[in-house]
Amino acid sequence: MNRDLRFTALKKTPFHSRTSLASRTNKYYNWNGFTVPTEYSTTELEYTAARNGTSVMDLTPMCKYMINGSDANRFVDYLVTRDLSQMEDNTVAYIIWCNEDGKVMDDGTIFKFSNTKFMLCCAVKIYNWLHDSAEGFDVSCEDATDTTAALAIQGPTSCSTLKNYGADDLELLKPFGMKQYNINGYDVLISRTGFTGDLGYELWTDPANAENMWDSIMEAGKELKIRPFGMHALEMTRIEAGFIQTNTDFMAAEDSLRPVRMRSPYEIGMGWLVHLNKESYFVGKRALKKEKETGNSERCLVGLDIDGDKPAVGSVIYNEKKEDIGIVTAAMWSPTMKRNVALASLKRPYGIKIKENIFAEIYHPEELEYKKIWAKCKVVKRQFFSPERRNKVPADLYE
Amino acid sequence: MSDNYDVIVIGAGHNGLVCANILAKKNRKVLICEAREKCGGLLEESITNFVPQIPLSVSSSLGGLTVKYKAKSSIALSESGQHIRLVGNQHIDHKVISGFSSKDADRYVEFHDKMSSFSKALGSFMMASPPRIMNNTFSDYFKLFKLGMNVRMLGKKKFNEFARMVGLNIADELEDNFENTLLQGLIAHDAVLGSNLGPRSPGSLINLLFRMATHDNSIFGGIYEIDGGSKAFVDTLLDISNKNKVEIKTSSSVKRCITENDKAVGVELHNGEKIYAKKIISNADPRSTYFSLLGTENLDTDVKRRIKHHRSKGKVAKLSLSLNKQPEFINCDKDDLESRMVIAPSIDYIEEAFNPSKFDKLSMEPILEMKLKNSDQSNPALDIQVQYASYGAQEGWDNIKDNYVDAVIKLIEKYAPDIQSCIETKAIVTPDDIEKNFHVTGGHWHHGEIQIDQLFMLRPIPGASQYRTHLDGLYMCGAGTHPGGGLTGIPGRNAAQAILEDA
Repeated sequence: MNRDLRFTALKKTPFHSRTSLASRTNKYYNWNGFTVPTEYSTTELEYTAARNGTSVMDLTPMCKYMINGSDANRFVDYLVTRDLSQMEDNTVAYIIWCNEDGKVMDDGTIFKFSNTKFMLCCAVKIYNWLHDSAEGFDVSCEDATDTTAALAIQGPTSCSTLKNYGADDLELLKPFGMKQYNINGYDVLISRTGFTGDLGYELWTDPANAENMWDSIMEAGKELKIRPFGMHALEMTRIEAGFIQTNTDFMAAEDSLRPVRMRSPYEIGMGWLVHLNKESYFVGKRALKKEKETGNSERCLVGLDIDGDKPAVGSVIYNEKKEDIGIVTAAMWSPTMKRNVALASLKRPYGIKIKENIFAEIYHPEELEYKKIWAKCKVVKRQFFSPERRNKVPADLYE
Repeated sequence: MSDNYDVIVIGAGHNGLVCANILAKKNRKVLICEAREKCGGLLEESITNFVPQIPLSVSSSLGGLTVKYKAKSSIALSESGQHIRLVGNQHIDHKVISGFSSKDADRYVEFHDKMSSFSKALGSFMMASPPRIMNNTFSDYFKLFKLGMNVRMLGKKKFNEFARMVGLNIADELEDNFENTLLQGLIAHDAVLGSNLGPRSPGSLINLLFRMATHDNSIFGGIYEIDGGSKAFVDTLLDISNKNKVEIKTSSSVKRCITENDKAVGVELHNGEKIYAKKIISNADPRSTYFSLLGTENLDTDVKRRIKHHRSKGKVAKLSLSLNKQPEFINCDKDDLESRMVIAPSIDYIEEAFNPSKFDKLSMEPILEMKLKNSDQSNPALDIQVQYASYGAQEGWDNIKDNYVDAVIKLIEKYAPDIQSCIETKAIVTPDDIEKNFHVTGGHWHHGEIQIDQLFMLRPIPGASQYRTHLDGLYMCGAGTHPGGGLTGIPGRNAAQAILEDA
């Protein structure tokens, strides 16, 4: 019997006709209710394109919310921990937001068009949270996930590719800046943002323009080593960049069943985004102030440089007495830096005061047998990869 | 900048006055800001006809109260004239009920004993501030342990019975025990009085236990009328305030709480005046306190959600009839007319009256609790509490008010055929009017439903259950806090204690 799957089947993004043509592996996964490629050809090849040419990723499944209204500026400032009162129009900011206990719900980016118009991008659906938080503010929140097509164009040659596509003077756009373009007869918003820690841009447009946008950009990047890339390659680039991912490196407060699994910003290395001296109140401020004053943060999220070349995926971290002091949340062998790196959640004071003499227990599979490796680790800055070209203005151009 | 005070109390309802005076007696400089011209809040207009006695713990902390009470018996009116009269004394009540059914009479004594022991177990808990489990302090756990012990000490059998009954509806329990529908109706009436529940709504039984805990642990005892009316009560409190040098500013509606470094430091009046104090106490209902005084922009989203979900739809209207002569109630003697007269002839009748109110509509046959005033004088009056007069009625109170009053009078006509000819004037105060005139959200007697999700440490909302709000320096002392309304003064006293503890 054929079941009617209209309401249960995963949605296709406006780029699906193109991404499915580009996929040689037919490997897809469920991202926020959409079906998108895990990898197109091989992850290694896609990763290499991202670090040496231009990589293209369908970002449409990201949650996108439009926040409009006369109080939009005040509301956004109330919603997130970062002080956005001085944020300029046509810029983007990286943000996190917390619940009343000061536990992180998610991270994301906020796009400011004007004092009365913002766009919020994030991983976890938060329409209800926005709606309920908006009580008392003159704002309307609208879920624009299905009505906005988004594409990430990342890599050293990304600026040149987009210039060929029609984005004039794009090299002058500063990091976290955004600019409205009209290309091929339709509006495209281009922001200098991304999840790869490299030079890169994100493009936002109406779904009707998606196919033309994909085709034109592929054509524009033909000589610039352009290649679509999937989730696995993105995972590699984001670990190198030291970016955290909700429900991978920490549990979103609303998703954790166990209260002890929730993390405050200080426990995931996001203390720099908490502005307790912000004049107005923001959600979670009282709890965060208390945590800061008492200094009772229990954990920390750090970068680890691990001996050897075997990725420490899922490893438990120990101190020299072989006591369990934490866990690796993401790990990889970095081909670009030739380093064995990982993100790890550690119990304080490990990672803050004690940065040496900690060990990862790595189980490395070798043809149906596991080799147990006891590898020495060093706590390092989480941002493993941050090339100069990432923040350069004007951006590098290639022919 | 005006004078500095130790404490500003927002609202001169009876809890506000009690709280202010206890603090003033402890040498605090206290100012009360009252939005209305007169003090007393809901008490001032006698919104409730009958009250429990102020507990000793409250009156003694005020240095004694001179208020005199008149005990009232209750009479369940029947169209046939076969009324049931109960006084709260088991022997007398047993005799009365046995006139209708000897089985009911015996069962009544058993039922009363059981309910009474349960309400006593809750009793000590009622007086004190509820524990706050998230605090993790010994005294909070001890309080909770004590409540558990109180209930457990009832014995295994009664403990099981208590556990069975806590979530039960009153109708099931009454139908299991009694056969007389008039008696069932009377008890069910008291269980749902002032709440948004019908007799068949789960939780209506604990409502009755809560009521009993403030009414001498008795179902029909502990019901009083204040000698000289509620005005006498307000005057007494104002006298004490005078003696204690509590300053009272009337017609001074507070617009918002002034905060500094996320701490309440004063109030701003609607006329722009700013007054500063070390501590601010709100006698207003929880929603007004949080959304207006504290301000939505100072609240966490989770707190906003809890306050938004806080249930406080008032269901009781007050109808006052001034009369040119005393109406003839069928088969009622002088004593009966002095009693608390209830028209709620059966459980089904009450449930029928409740049904439309689920949809915010009005029943034209509501349940009534009546008090005849000045019965021996030339200007008698009938004060009627009309239950299930929904807040924000769909029909629109402005459109339907006159019809509704007529319907109530027509209902009374069945018990007092000449009532129409006695009426001089009629005035009704609906929950909507209470909200508008007394600044109580939803016009609810108790500033919020007395139900299991809004009781004890959950009252008014989790995280604000010990008279402290989410804002440092801002407290609550109104009926919205534990243990609720009903003219006991306990919330006021407990709030004062919380403030003294924090000082």
